[in-house]
Amino acid sequence: MDFQLSFLMSSNVLPLLLQGAATTVRLFSTAWIIGILVAFLLVGLRAVPNRWIGRIVALFVEYHRNVPTVVQIMVWYFGMPEILPQDIKLWINRGDTEFLFAMIALGLNVSAFFAEDIRSGMRAVPHTQLEAARSIGLSAFGALIYVLLPQALRISVPPLINRSLILFKDTSLAMAIGVAELSYQTKAIENLSFRSLEVFFASTVFYLLASLALMGIGAWFSRRFPPAFKG
Amino acid sequence: MTKKSSLSGKTGKIVALSLLLGSLFSSAAHADVFDDIKARGKLVCGTQNASAPYAYQDPVSRTFVGYDVDMCKELAKALGVALEHHPLSTEARIPELKLGRVDVVAGSMAYLPERAEQVDFSLQYLQGDIKVMVKKKSGIRKLSDLADKKICASKGSSSAAVASRVLTKSQVLTFQDVASCYLGLQSEKVEGFTAGELALKRFEIDSQGKGDPVVLLPEATYAEHIGIVVNKGNPKLLAAINDVIQRLDKTGALTTLYDKWLGEQSIYKLKRKFKVEPVDKAV
Repeated sequence: MDFQLSFLMSSNVLPLLLQGAATTVRLFSTAWIIGILVAFLLVGLRAVPNRWIGRIVALFVEYHRNVPTVVQIMVWYFGMPEILPQDIKLWINRGDTEFLFAMIALGLNVSAFFAEDIRSGMRAVPHTQLEAARSIGLSAFGALIYVLLPQALRISVPPLINRSLILFKDTSLAMAIGVAELSYQTKAIENLSFRSLEVFFASTVFYLLASLALMGIGAWFSRRFPPAFKG
Repeated sequence: MTKKSSLSGKTGKIVALSLLLGSLFSSAAHADVFDDIKARGKLVCGTQNASAPYAYQDPVSRTFVGYDVDMCKELAKALGVALEHHPLSTEARIPELKLGRVDVVAGSMAYLPERAEQVDFSLQYLQGDIKVMVKKKSGIRKLSDLADKKICASKGSSSAAVASRVLTKSQVLTFQDVASCYLGLQSEKVEGFTAGELALKRFEIDSQGKGDPVVLLPEATYAEHIGIVVNKGNPKLLAAINDVIQRLDKTGALTTLYDKWLGEQSIYKLKRKFKVEPVDKAV
């Protein structure tokens, strides 16, 4: 069949694609911020010398690593509002709940992976670094902030970028609950016009370019802040 | 730097791949598929794969049955060739046809002008109403009550394609499948659920006698004109299919099929009202 890129530029297609791409970027960035904040919280909680807190964090991480992401989105979207009182539930359902719950589900999901990446980075810093930091008089917290984390985070950058790329593509799972991100709009246009090749081409190019940009940021960050210690 | 050169290598490969895909698509349209079917003595006919009563797996016999499957059988019989039946997912119907892996698709596909730019539709062999289902206790009784409400449609369906045009005042969401939509309606995520009358009827029948039944709104939002779909540039095949449909209509076989899957003998108890005519006649 004829491959017409001009079809993508028509006035009833281009706005849909752009809206979809904007929603994808918005979903990715908000979920990423939730993810990294919760990940630091999890890493902090794991450092608390309490067996029960450690177990709860481990349970959180295992749930988000082992249950399919789309199921987690469904659980948040269909499940969570059910435990709320009827009036609050209806009020929530009237708003933009699709985006909200997809953002929470994806954010928590990626936080579990981010937390493990940061934790592995911290374990890669030799124990003697901590001992040395404490011996020059830094507090436990000071040693964490000034010595341990700066080194650990640099080591964690490649796996964090890797996971961010996966998060970027996982945003497409939100179409299962009707979030109008790029894949959703792609399918909608395809369904209406049957021009599968053109629309899938456009969204492939967008995902590819965005992923390459993310990788570029990662490469820049690694050059700017190289892991100081190679032991 | 080595990193950079490997990146441009990747882009090059992608360009090459998309060119290859493009050439695959363009090579699909050469001689009339009708001659290929006759030459190989086999019709490859695609249908949906999980869409009762059009084409679905019978839980007892484990074979695919339904209105569209019987339509494929009738087509093959009339053309005097063997039948190879391909059950396809909703999204795969058009790509499979365009890549030439199936000759025709009897996939309960409704005519839309945009779709007709890509493929050719036969005469209509089925017509269906798209309706909206709501909770009985919601107090919604007609389509105009749905303004500013969330309405669900399932992904890839014609109801999703027309919903945003017909229900302009409502917010249309599309979910994964009809089951998700039903769940969304039950858990009050959405206040209406739009789909083909038959799909909705099953849920309506299912919900009777339970605490919170659902009802169909009597007005239809749209009438779907469903035709058999072939690739562009196959006038002989299209004419042959139209001929078969008209003959089935004349002998009463089409009504028999309708009664078997949608009418008297089915759970839907519908009466055949449509005529065999061009799909774009009423639009």
